[in-house]
Amino acid sequence: MLYELGQVTRVHNGRKILDIDGLAIERGRITALIGANGAGKTTLLQILAFLDTPSSGQVSFLGEAVDFRGSALLELRRRIVLVDQYPILFTGSVQRNLEFGLKVRGVERAERLHRVSQALDMVGMGEFLHARAEKLSGGETKRIALARALALRPAVLLCDEPTANVDFEHQEVILNILERANGEENISIVFSTHALEQAERLADTLVTLKGGRLSRLSRVNVWPAILDDGPVAVIAGRGRREVRLALAPDALAGSPGRRVNLFFDPEKLRLLPVAEKRDDQRHLPATVVQLTADEQRVKVTVDIGVPIDVYLSAGEYGMRPPRIGELLLLQVAAGALTVE
Amino acid sequence: MDLIFDSCRAALILLASGDEELMTIVLCSLRVSGAATIIAAIIGLPLGLLVAFTAFPGKRLTLTLLNTLLAMPTVVIGLLVYAFISRRGILGFLDMLYTQEAMIVGQVVLIVPVIATMVIAAISRLDRRYQATALTLGADRLQMAWMVVVEARYAVIAAIIAAFGRVIAEIGISMMLGGNAKGFTRTMTTAMALEYDKGEFVLAVALGMVLLGLAFALNLLFQLFQGRVVSDAL
Repeated sequence: MLYELGQVTRVHNGRKILDIDGLAIERGRITALIGANGAGKTTLLQILAFLDTPSSGQVSFLGEAVDFRGSALLELRRRIVLVDQYPILFTGSVQRNLEFGLKVRGVERAERLHRVSQALDMVGMGEFLHARAEKLSGGETKRIALARALALRPAVLLCDEPTANVDFEHQEVILNILERANGEENISIVFSTHALEQAERLADTLVTLKGGRLSRLSRVNVWPAILDDGPVAVIAGRGRREVRLALAPDALAGSPGRRVNLFFDPEKLRLLPVAEKRDDQRHLPATVVQLTADEQRVKVTVDIGVPIDVYLSAGEYGMRPPRIGELLLLQVAAGALTVE
Repeated sequence: MDLIFDSCRAALILLASGDEELMTIVLCSLRVSGAATIIAAIIGLPLGLLVAFTAFPGKRLTLTLLNTLLAMPTVVIGLLVYAFISRRGILGFLDMLYTQEAMIVGQVVLIVPVIATMVIAAISRLDRRYQATALTLGADRLQMAWMVVVEARYAVIAAIIAAFGRVIAEIGISMMLGGNAKGFTRTMTTAMALEYDKGEFVLAVALGMVLLGLAFALNLLFQLFQGRVVSDAL
């Protein structure tokens, strides 16, 4: 594992802004931290970059417990680079900026120039070597900040909202840079975003934060809904189709009209024959649209107005294999649904 | 009015002639204040950085003390240093009283707080991302501090220039610790006070012109550092 966090908290001005029971981030992969503003993404990235010290808890990096007050922290920090949401460039030329991290590591001039040139080429800004940093646009600044990080050939690249406040063209370029850094340079990448579609496109793993805590919501099976009397959650499905889902009385936290996220736990959902039809808004008509198998289980994607993934064990699948296009009933038991 | 015009005319003639006494006084002032500023910068800059970057118990009290020292009258500093270096003081064996070295010590005490507080203010105003960026790019604490100083260089230079301006124009310390000895410890301000006492205004006015000229040159130098002269001219 690249990072392992256990019982990590960060308290600021008496307020707990991060509270993570357990989190493991894999090496060599792209991990996305998703969550709204104030969810704790930046604080977590600061801790992962060893720029901030947790108030309590354990952080391990590559299997070794990290001592945040120890003298070895500098060496650890030199294997990781954090690119800020609003990166700041030092006054002077782009070259000076890219050379800074190499100089402090004592890299020889010839090697420095080689790496600077390589990093600039990687972000497609080779001709900006002698440009003044303060003359660059927002998107260019972000790309140069990425090049400044990549020139160091870090083991881990942490990016806080890498595409925030840049135009679409620069967004695409930045996402491609991250993909290449991971694919070609084998750099582990952790980036934060509040754009789910961006996270899904780029990341191998998604970690969702809400109010400083890890949320059980993941990229699959999360749908926004509006609460209604009943209590019922209403999902706006395709073609203006409303999906109404009865909630357990104790699951409802809020008044009608409140917007919530529904997480359908793919391990706990059940698929039943349509003959067992029950009209209780906990059994929804579902058409099988996709089957995907891995070593231990089969993922069945069904359409209930929105796509939902259901995991079947090899045994369950063997007893009654669903067919593409087949109409079934999706059973959403109380434990299979989380309202957040 | 005649007195002023006559004094100014005579002072200009004195300046143009390169009067030896005048030059000795000016050079003594520059030597003492220049040395005091360099030593104070060597002490005040790291002190300011230390206070700005380090969280320690009593930091607020330290800042309050430094700010209080800014308002310390030069005669009080003169008195304090005198108590240490006079024959009966604990540093009396150094035999420093009424020397340029004694004046330098007093002036250093005067402007270390000036440089330290202005550096602290400059670092506090600087975007904190500079520190975080330097650290995440692999800098140690010292390298990070140097990068921050480089980014805040105009404010740091301003602090040093302000400190020089403070000591070149002070009189209490120079008078009490230097003794105004002709050719040795007579500075522009002590000479001006003496000439005034004697009712001889020509040398006093000439020295006043040099002081004003120096103040103007320092400000011009600082503006040049900031590049404002160029941008204003465009």
